[in-house]
Amino acid sequence: MATLEQLVDWLGRFRDLVNEKQAYLTELDSAIGDADHGSNMARGMNAVLDKVGEPTAIDELFKTVGMTLVTSVGGASGPLYGTFFLRFGAAAGSVTSLDDAALSAALRAGLDGVLARGKAEVGDKTMLDALVPALDAWDAASTAPAAAAWAAAEEGRDATEPLVARKGRASYLGDRSAGHLDPGATSTALLFEALAGALA
Amino acid sequence: MIGLVVVSHSPALAKAAVDLALQMVGDAPPPIAIAAGAGDDVIGTDATRVAAAIDEVASDDGVLVFMDLGSAVMSAEMGLEFRSSTCDVRLSDAPFVEGLVAAVVLAAAGSSLDDVAREASRAMEPKQGSPGSAAEPPVTQSPETETDTEPGAVTADVTLVNEAGLHARPVSTIVKTVSGFDASVTLEDVTAGKGPVSAASLIAVLTLGSAKGNVIRISATGEQATEAVEAVRAMAVEGFGEE
Repeated sequence: MATLEQLVDWLGRFRDLVNEKQAYLTELDSAIGDADHGSNMARGMNAVLDKVGEPTAIDELFKTVGMTLVTSVGGASGPLYGTFFLRFGAAAGSVTSLDDAALSAALRAGLDGVLARGKAEVGDKTMLDALVPALDAWDAASTAPAAAAWAAAEEGRDATEPLVARKGRASYLGDRSAGHLDPGATSTALLFEALAGALA
Repeated sequence: MIGLVVVSHSPALAKAAVDLALQMVGDAPPPIAIAAGAGDDVIGTDATRVAAAIDEVASDDGVLVFMDLGSAVMSAEMGLEFRSSTCDVRLSDAPFVEGLVAAVVLAAAGSSLDDVAREASRAMEPKQGSPGSAAEPPVTQSPETETDTEPGAVTADVTLVNEAGLHARPVSTIVKTVSGFDASVTLEDVTAGKGPVSAASLIAVLTLGSAKGNVIRISATGEQATEAVEAVRAMAVEGFGEE
């Protein structure tokens, strides 16, 4: 069960985490990308919380979130996280709370959007490597699905270290992309840490 | 005339690429809109800017979108979902600079979206065929441009007198000129033994790489074949207005 207030809290916690870990995310991205993931996500989520105001429905809230990320992030995480939140909101609909099943369905709709937008698969060393196991764990959990999803997202993030990137800027590095955590999977683990915190 | 949209991480890069391409055409450039940068002076791309740029140049003739790299492609795809116009829009897989130059020339000459998109996609061919290129040169040309000189065609031979030969600017003049005639025109570099290729194809003519002193055979069929051949011959004799 998640209320509109808890979902706003989710976004606030995610903003706080990406700001706190901004330097770390950028350091990961400097190893295998263009060293902007931390600053892009922090700028994007700061802009989101500036824009959120007092939403009256979940679809309205996440339309604002998605469009703000699309216009303010700049890098690929703009359209990817933007699409995730836009689809999440559209699936949730004009309601003020979601039960666990509806929340799962909205997260799945967000995942489908990321799959369609990024054309990546699990194992490509992308945010999907945290997102997909997190949602699988959510659906498999009999109690406390958000906590299970957070743990699975972190495992998925850690499992990106030996992978060779096949999508995005990191794919230009080929085998040299192995040996580093994926920045996108790392920020996605923070997204589920934030959700677990907001729903606890 | 089709519209062109230029999506780049960098407003400066987009503007410079557009300026370079516009040097190829005169007073009547095609509609071009830039969607570059994100947020406040962020190096990046923004799907809503892409959507606005598409809508700005949209017409029934369609829009062709050029992208630099990475998230520009994703933002352009998302921009297609956000736009309010309903015309045909294509995302070009062409190299950013070469494709844009080819597209500006052909769009200004009134070519269709299909033709511009196809030509732009082939815009790497002259570079790939150049000496020292890392890539294998293209072995075959598509049927549209590999045209045998037909029997009964009107033909004229001319020696290139301008210093740079058939480089982009004279070729763009040729492409624009032949588009004004009801004729199918081909060019063959007799000296180098290359061609014939369609004179309506900027990229195909550039692949000839013809230098000063080479003899070019101009051939045409169709209602205005004689006029078309004479027009191209006259330009070549004058060195395309160059030194």
